[in-house]
Amino acid sequence: MSILIDKNTKVLVLGITGKSGKLQSEIMKKYGTNIVAGVTPGKGGRVVEQIPVYDFVKEAKEQHKIDVAISFVPPPYLKDSCFEVIKNDIKFLVISTEGIPEHDTVEILKYAKDNGTMILGPGTAGLIAPGKCKLGAHPPQLYCKGRVGVVSKSGALSYEIGKTLTENSIGQSTVVAIGGGPFWGLSQLDILEMFEKDEETDIIVLLGEIGGTMEVEAAKLIKEKIRKPVISLIVGKSAPKGKSLGHAGAIIEGNLGTAESKINALKDAGVLIAHNHMEIVKLIKKIEG
Amino acid sequence: MKLYEFQGKEIFKKYNIPVQSGCLICKNDLTKNLVPPLVLKAQVQAGGRGKAGGIKLWDGNKDISQIADELFSLKIKGERVKALLALEQVDILREIYISMTFNRGKSTPVIIVGTSGGMDIEKSAQSDKENIHFIEFDPFIGILDYQIRWIAKKLQIKDVAEFRKIIKAMYQIFRDYDASLIEINPLAVTPHGLMAIDSKIDLDDQASFRHHALFQKLEEEKKSLKDKENSINLESTDDTITFVPLSGDIGVISDGAGTGLLTLDLISDFGGKVASFCELGGITNSEIMLKALRLVKNQSSLKSILVVLIGGFNRMDDMAEGIIQFKKELKDNVPIFIRMCGTKEEIGKQLMKDENIPVYNSLIDAAEAAVEEARGN
Repeated sequence: MSILIDKNTKVLVLGITGKSGKLQSEIMKKYGTNIVAGVTPGKGGRVVEQIPVYDFVKEAKEQHKIDVAISFVPPPYLKDSCFEVIKNDIKFLVISTEGIPEHDTVEILKYAKDNGTMILGPGTAGLIAPGKCKLGAHPPQLYCKGRVGVVSKSGALSYEIGKTLTENSIGQSTVVAIGGGPFWGLSQLDILEMFEKDEETDIIVLLGEIGGTMEVEAAKLIKEKIRKPVISLIVGKSAPKGKSLGHAGAIIEGNLGTAESKINALKDAGVLIAHNHMEIVKLIKKIEG
Repeated sequence: MKLYEFQGKEIFKKYNIPVQSGCLICKNDLTKNLVPPLVLKAQVQAGGRGKAGGIKLWDGNKDISQIADELFSLKIKGERVKALLALEQVDILREIYISMTFNRGKSTPVIIVGTSGGMDIEKSAQSDKENIHFIEFDPFIGILDYQIRWIAKKLQIKDVAEFRKIIKAMYQIFRDYDASLIEINPLAVTPHGLMAIDSKIDLDDQASFRHHALFQKLEEEKKSLKDKENSINLESTDDTITFVPLSGDIGVISDGAGTGLLTLDLISDFGGKVASFCELGGITNSEIMLKALRLVKNQSSLKSILVVLIGGFNRMDDMAEGIIQFKKELKDNVPIFIRMCGTKEEIGKQLMKDENIPVYNSLIDAAEAAVEEARGN
């Protein structure tokens, strides 16, 4: 299978009756994602896009086999909803919600870790395994099936690269956005290790940005453990210091988190550096011969 | 929300963290009955206040109004001084650094302590590693007693009971107020015990829905002190827009941070300079698009606007509506270059076509065109 999800993955949508949850469920379902149930407290018994809605996760689980959950629940209700998912033993939860209080985020991530649930996000666009399944907001028309695995912090950048690769006839195995931070469940490192083991992935594209040190840690991991070719694009090279540019995590503080420090670490680990998105195509074509 | 020192100390008082007694002095408000010696501290949010001359001692030799005027005429990192905190003088035997925040890489709350206060913690954390300690704690358990005793030992604090009270109070504030940071720098060892000489509290704006009344009260206090000349950065804090004014001539709007950063890099590669960077946030609507365009349009040196859209959660039909509305209210003719794709792009592109607004498919082509336009080609 591709990493994390495949054609048979059975999906529960949290906050399915909300504006965003409803639209995204419609698009996901049309794409082929196997959404078996939705949950919105107080809206049990309704049907959205032919998907049955329940009041509680437990009720949904009694009626359906569920592998993963994706949340569109707004911040004030998110913590409770995530705890409910984790307590009901769902082992993979994608949190698309942005703007969650920091104390709540830290508690959700800790509770998930203590109970063995993987979290993608929060604030993530989700992931797509082209031709099989998509969980989240990746616009389907920008992707096609193939053997390049993409991991990004930014959702928008993972769309941009999907679009660029697809327009150049390079297909993708799975495209994963982990979220803009500053808190993360699954990290770039976790996804890199999954791609390394994945039989359907030949080349890995790591999309990073200024701020924090995750890309530097990823470089260490690549040096030690990743044998597949890795291409990386780090965005924000021209960004001014000390200013937050959209992602809470994308801020250069002192000498920490500069594009240069990340590029140097990645180069040292044998990663091929693309200067912009078009260069990723050139580097892939070079590897493929 | 960053709190002023006097606001933070009000909270400290409420939680029984010892602070100096004192009062707040606003401009033209020196009628209070003040007795020397007093320390006068400029209330600004910028760091480096001491170095900028923002803290002065009044020993009674000069008239207090003279010292106050000197402080009120200061501009600290561009921020005007609108209020002073007048505090009793205390004997300080030793200074300690202490803060409570999150270790974001590890997603855990952490206490950071240093054996000498008054320092630049970011620099010291790299240069003075033996004297800085990071103590992580479980969000569900809180700070355990052995951790407090361990910190006290590292800081050579003898009265653990007194120190425990301060740590527990900090933790309570951390939780009760949804704080992202509580910093006491310095925490002073005085002949009469420990005392918080300064206060720096950051509240998490994302948690404001839990603290309506509090945020309103603090916001009103701050409004009276806020430097109006400096308010452009603060214009859009009420929604998802990130707006960063820069010094070039191309206004950039994106609906995703990563693609926005890539766009800045492309503009730089083409030799262009960005006037402002505006990121709309993941889930947005036509009104936010319109607001962003107005914000960007306000920049005086503007020669072209580049709008880069690649919607996932964000719908292109909504974005098109915002752009069309802006075009209608536009009096002069600032050229706008738009790249549009993603969710509902067929409808968005059709709407733009109906209004004869050209749309690019390629990010590189749109960025290059915006740079060329700014250059006057």
